Parts: sequence; C-alpha cells; structure tokens
Amino acid sequence: MLASIVLITLAAAPLGLLARRGPRPLVGWGLALLPAAIFALLLSQLPAVAGEAHITQAIPWAPAMGVELRFTLDGLSLLFGLVISGIGALIFGYAGHYMQSDPGLGRFFVYLILFMGAMLGLVLAGNVLTMFLFWELTSVTSYLLIGYKHDYPDARRGAQQSLLITAGGGLALLVGLLLLGEAARRAGVPPGEAYTFEAIIGAGEAIKAGPLYAPAMILVFLGAFTKSAQFPFHFWLPGAMQAPTPASAFLHSATMVKAGIYLLARLAPGLGGTPLWSGTLVLVGGFTFAFGALVATRKLDIKALLAYTTLSMLGGLVMLIGLGGKYAAEALAVNILAHALYKSALFMIAGIIDHETGTRDLNRLGGLRRFMPGTAAFTALALLSQMGIPVFFGFVGKEIMIEAALQSPLDAPWRYAALAAIVVGAVGYIVAAWRLFKGAFLGQPSPDVLQHHVFDPHLGMLAAPAVPAALSLLLPLGLLPLVSQLLAPAASAVYGKELELELALWHGLNVALGVSAAAILGGALLARFERRLAALPSPLPAWADGARLFDRLTDAMLAGATAFTAAIQAGQLRRYILYTTAAFLCAVGIPLAIYGAASAIPITPDPQLQPYEVFAAALIPVAIVATIRARSRVGAIIAVGVVGAMVSLFFILFSAPDLALTQLLIEVLSTVFLLLVFSVLPARFEILSSPWARARDAAMAALVGLLMTGLVLATAGSDAFGSIAPYFLENSLEKGKGHNVVNVILVDFRGFDTLGEITVLLTALLGIYGLLRMRRASPPPPAPSPSRGEGGQKEGA
Amino acid sequence: MVLILAITIGCLFAGAIYLMLRRSVVKLILGLLLLSHGVNLLIFTMGDGVRRGAPPIVDDAGLPPANVADPLVQALILTAIVISFGIMAFVLALAYRANQAVGSDDLDDMIE
Repeated sequence: MLASIVLITLAAAPLGLLARRGPRPLVGWGLALLPAAIFALLLSQLPAVAGEAHITQAIPWAPAMGVELRFTLDGLSLLFGLVISGIGALIFGYAGHYMQSDPGLGRFFVYLILFMGAMLGLVLAGNVLTMFLFWELTSVTSYLLIGYKHDYPDARRGAQQSLLITAGGGLALLVGLLLLGEAARRAGVPPGEAYTFEAIIGAGEAIKAGPLYAPAMILVFLGAFTKSAQFPFHFWLPGAMQAPTPASAFLHSATMVKAGIYLLARLAPGLGGTPLWSGTLVLVGGFTFAFGALVATRKLDIKALLAYTTLSMLGGLVMLIGLGGKYAAEALAVNILAHALYKSALFMIAGIIDHETGTRDLNRLGGLRRFMPGTAAFTALALLSQMGIPVFFGFVGKEIMIEAALQSPLDAPWRYAALAAIVVGAVGYIVAAWRLFKGAFLGQPSPDVLQHHVFDPHLGMLAAPAVPAALSLLLPLGLLPLVSQLLAPAASAVYGKELELELALWHGLNVALGVSAAAILGGALLARFERRLAALPSPLPAWADGARLFDRLTDAMLAGATAFTAAIQAGQLRRYILYTTAAFLCAVGIPLAIYGAASAIPITPDPQLQPYEVFAAALIPVAIVATIRARSRVGAIIAVGVVGAMVSLFFILFSAPDLALTQLLIEVLSTVFLLLVFSVLPARFEILSSPWARARDAAMAALVGLLMTGLVLATAGSDAFGSIAPYFLENSLEKGKGHNVVNVILVDFRGFDTLGEITVLLTALLGIYGLLRMRRASPPPPAPSPSRGEGGQKEGA
Repeated sequence: MVLILAITIGCLFAGAIYLMLRRSVVKLILGLLLLSHGVNLLIFTMGDGVRRGAPPIVDDAGLPPANVADPLVQALILTAIVISFGIMAFVLALAYRANQAVGSDDLDDMIE
C-alpha cells in the first residue's frame, strides 16, 4: 500500500496536463481528489500505528548490499503524510483558481504532483537510501517550481540558489547517510539491513561511541540545515518566494522545508542526546528562530515576511529536537501541525491579496477589510494562531514549547538560551503579524487598492485558506482529544518510547503561562511602535546579505574557472608541455621520492665496465649540451647526430645488432631530412626566450632528468613480474620458423604491432604529401592563412 | 652498467624537455629526436636485465645461446624507432610549411 501511494502519485503526474484544456478551477479541485484520497487512506491507518507500532513494505533492489525500496509508516510518517496530502488537496484546488489565466498551469500541476509524490516518498521511506532518493527529487521539483516563471531573472536566480544549496547539502547528506550505514554495519547489523532507519536507531548507542558518529552527524546536519533553511543557509528560502504562491504555500512553508526537521526527528531517538547533537541543534536552531522572527518584523513584502517567520519556526523545530526530552517531542509534533495550518493559510491569503490587488507590498496596500471582509476574518484567525494568542492552536504549541525548554534534560544555560530564543521569536511573531494585518487590512484604502475592483475571491478559492485557518481555532476548542490521539504516535516516534499525550488549553497558572503572557504583552507593546521599529537602520551592512554573498561566491568560482582555463589553454605548445611536465613531476616524482628509495637497487661498480663504454656514455651529455647551445643549424644537426650514433653504439654493446642497424640507418635518413628542411630556414638560431624562462625550463628539465634516472634505478632491479622473453626464445624456430628472434617477433608473434607501425608510417607519408602539395595549390604569399589552417587540421588528423 | 644507462636516460630526457620548451620550432624537433632516444633506452632497461650477452638468435636446434639478451624489448624498440622517425619526418614537413606561411620558426608567431 505504501509503495503504491508513492508510485501511483508519481505516475499520476501527467494528469496535471488536463489543466491545459479543461475548465480550470474544476480541474484543480478534481486533481485535489488524489491527495484527498491519500489523506483518507493514511488517516484510516491511524489505529495501526498507535504507540510504537508501524507497518513496512520492501521491494528489494540489491539485497546483498542492503539497497531496497523500503517504505515504513509510523506515527511521525503518518503526521507528515497527513500534512502533505491534506494541505496538498487544498493547494491543488486553490491553484486552479489562482492561476486560472496562466497558460502554463498544466506544467505547474505536473511539477506539483511530482513534488507531492517525492515528498510522500521521503516521509514514508524506511531506509536512508530510499529517503535520499526522494530527498533529491524534492530538491529538483522545488527548483522547477521556483523557476516556473522562467522569464523573470529573479525567478531564475532564486531557483538556481535553492538548487545549488539544497542539492549541495544533499551531497553532504548522502555521504553522511552512507557513513551511518557503515557505522551500523560495524556495530554488528547484518549488511542487508544496515541502511534501514530501524537498524540505525537500534544500533544508536554503538554508533554514538564509534569514530564515524561525528563526521556522519556533521554531514547529516549540513543536509538538514540546507533543506530546512537554517542560518547561515537560510537565504535561499526568501529567494524561493519567486515561485507561484501555491507552490510557496505548499513547499516552502508546510512540507519540503520540513524535510530536514523530519530527518532529524527520525534519527533523534537513536542518535540524539550527545553534546554534539544538542549543542549544534540548539545553537543553530535557536539562533535561526530569533533571527528569522526579528528580520520578519522589518519586511514589507508579505511573502518575504512570511518566509522569514517560516524559517524562524523551522529554527524553533530544530531547536526542539536538540533540546530532547518528552515535552520537546510533544512540542515538535504539535508545532509541526500548528505551523502547517496557519502558515499555509497565510501564504494562500498572500496569494489572494496579490491576485486581487496586483501587489504584495504593505506600503501600497491598506483598508482591505472593507472590500474583503471574509479574507480579513480568516487572515485574523491564522495570524492569531501564529501570534500564540490563547485558545488558538499556536498558543497550545507555544505553551508546550516553553515547557520543553524548561523541562529539557540539558544544562541550565542551554535551557535559558532556548527560552530566550522562544521569547524573542514570540515577540517577533506578534510584531510581524500585527504589521501584516495593519498594513494590508486596516487604515485607509491606498490608491492601488482603489484602482482595482477588489472584493473577496470566489468561494472555491477562499475555501482553501479558510479550512486550515478555521482549524487553527476549531482544533483547540473542540477537538483536542482527537488531535492528541493523532499526535501521540508521532511524538512517541520522536521520543523513542511510547508516551501519553493529552493536550489541554489550560494547564493552570504555571511558569510557561507566565512566560507566554509576558511575551504577548511585550509583543503588543512593541507592535504599537511597529513603524518606528521598521524605520530603524538595519544593524547589518548591505554586503552581509546571504543571497548576495552567495551570488558573489558563484560568480567568483566561474571567473576563477574561466581564468584558470585561459591560463592553461593559452594556445602555446610549450605551455602545455610545461604543465604536462609539472603534473608528471608531481604525480610520479612524489611517490617515487617517498617509496622509490626503498626499492632502489644497490649501486655496485661494474667489473666488466670498459673504457669505451664510459667514453660513449660521456659523449652523450656533451653532445646534448652542444645541441642546446648550438648557434648554427648545421652545428645542432651534427650534435644530434652524435647522440644518435652513441645510442646505436649502446645497442651494439648490449647485443642488439638489429637495433643498431636500424638506428644507424634512420640516423642517416634523419640527418638528410634535417639538412633538407633546415636549409630553407634561417641559418642561425636567435635567442627568443627571456633568461628567466630559460632558467625555469632548465630547472624543470633537470628535475625530469633526475626523476627518470631515479625511475630507472628504482625499477631496473624489480622482478615483480616474470619475464616472457623465454617464451619467444623457445618458440622462435618451432612456431615462427626463424632464427632471429627479434625479427620473428616483429613479423609473426606481434605481427599486428608491425601492421600498426606501417599504418603510422603511411599516415605520416600521406600527411607529408598533403603538406607539400598544398603549396603548389595555394596562391603565393598574399593569402597564407587558409593553407595554414589546413595544415593544422592535417596535424590533428 | 644500469647506472650509466640511467644517467644517460636522465640526460636525454632533460635535454629533450628543455629543447621542447623553446620557442623555436627547430629546437622542438631536435627535442623530439632526443626524447625518442631517451624513451628507446628506457624501454631497453625494462627488459630481462641489461647484459652484454649474445644477440637473440637461436641455433638450428631452436636453442638460444647462453646469456642471451631479451628479444621482446628489442622488437618493441625497433617499432618505436621507425614510428618516431615517421613522426619526425611529418613534423619536419610541418615546420617547412609553417616557415613558408609565416616566414619564421618562432612558435609564438604561429598563434592565430
């Protein structure tokens, strides 16, 4: 059943194209039937996952390596699955209205369904590999949705930043998850199961004690923080607001950004509780919590304001996971639901305002309550929940969050830091919410509003945000026992032990209530001065903007790559030789210097050494220096000829008569050719390079010479591989019918080598023929360039 | 004896690389020549020991003489000598044409 939910959803994506033809709002609500059905199906499984029970389904891929498509449904998955499918159903209906006149709606729905399938796969995944697969798929679909309006540069920029950051974090996550699997295997889990969440959580204590824990967790944190927009990776989320509002409401408030939270909560019972875990999560989460709330109070764009309160709440959830303990698990479950409800409603309302008035700028809005009373009412409901005003669901969430901070098993400084973050966050939420409501709905209607014929949207469109907004009030007022029943399994899954959850509006006069009341009072007081607060200059300099810094980073990377390519691909042969030689020196020289000394053969005086051998050998360096220093061409040819002759002599000395013969013959031919060609060139060499370049090249050449000498000495004594020479010696006469073994090898044993050699010669011959003929064909000097180009092609061929 | 060969090979490579890094196309060709000598000798040292023994020619019974040299590396070098000659001939023709087109043997003059 679980696999079917995910795979059928993914397969149903083409259904989105129905929106290209059909009546749009109807198609939207029609498509909403799919998530609605999933919602009902998942809800019917609630009894099956009560407490710690769960259901699992696995489709093996590579069982020996523990790679399988594995789905598990437990309380936490169920909560996320319900949020995804429930909000999803509303979003589909809403999008049909919101984008009624958009020609690309069909494409949009395809992306949205794909995303929903990926997100369901992510939260239903039973092993880390399956989860990672869907994790990346959500990044990709999010990219497509943010960049949906690809005609706009801002949309492209936002899409690219979000993809680079979330996919980059995804890479870190993959390594982290593989390390976790490896750690589980070392802890004694059979390889076939090492990647399942159960096994990793089960082996938690052993993993925590092992050396892989810290690197694995840091990498997993990177993945979760990038996905859930934690500081300092937060800036992609405001940028992602370029997506059409239905996508923002779905992905960037209720579902995808909570994937990081989901993963951390999933791993918490097994891997949580260490100083690394708690310290990182409380610090990063708490800071993001307060930071996001404070920035939100200064924003004028409604979606940007909502984006910052979203990343703030994500920080709060990360902090809760870090705090640990029973109340934190409960607070996590409650706040996930509360936030998903009010934030998706607010995003959809932002879309309605934008849709009706053509702007989301609070400075250009105002007085909307007269024209849109229905929208204003539901906005108020959602905002009151966000502010944490009593009897709203947000209040329940905030109360239990404060309780979690007070009751956390961590040391006192951590607890108070968390409490401070909660208070700052709560105050910020109140100011931001008041700012939004006042700017959009109160006061006098602005000229922008009066220009448009603004009124409440179609009922079908208003219904989408109305449902979650109303639930934010109805759930705590009448349905708390039911909600507790739904959230208890989720909280148990995070806590690791079954726990009883009984939510209540009134816990009596306690510390949490006092802190909450103080925050509300403080918020109300500050909200009065909301305009003056927003007018204060920003405490941060303009360059300290994450998105801008990130742009600079990517630009610098591209510029660096371009400069690097330009430096290396300079079009000069000697530069290529220089870099190749340098790379060779590093790649071969360094290992040789480290390991070669041990295997070098001892140098002993050779008793057979003859004076003429020494003479021949000594003549070669002399001739080389003469070649290099030669001022005239003929001198250079003579010096090179000496080298060739001495090499031939070596071949004679070491019983290779065939080689000596061939070498001498070739030497004569070479000399003739060199004389022929050099005769048309200037008679004397000019000094072209600078002294510095010559010194550098000489040093490089000397190093290569040293390296080659060392290489020969290090390998000459090696007998790691047996010689195959005896085979040729034994079989030469019998199988090759020849006495001269070298010749038999050339024409018989390795005849194909010789065939290749002849082919090379033939090709060279053709090339030379072409080069020389071209001269006759091409007109004299005035137009030399075409022939030059052709010559280059020949060389390349 | 390996020591002398090793030093010779080192000298050949050093000279070849230095010449190939020059701007003159003629020096580049001379460098290639030296490099092929160096590589041939390098292959030589890879064989079944470097020895002043008998050439690899078997008698009528098909038996090699005592202390025979490695025939395989010799065959490989033979191929290498011929191929490097072919390449050198081609590069020479190229330099000849380039000189006609550009009127110089400076490689930097040949960049578009």
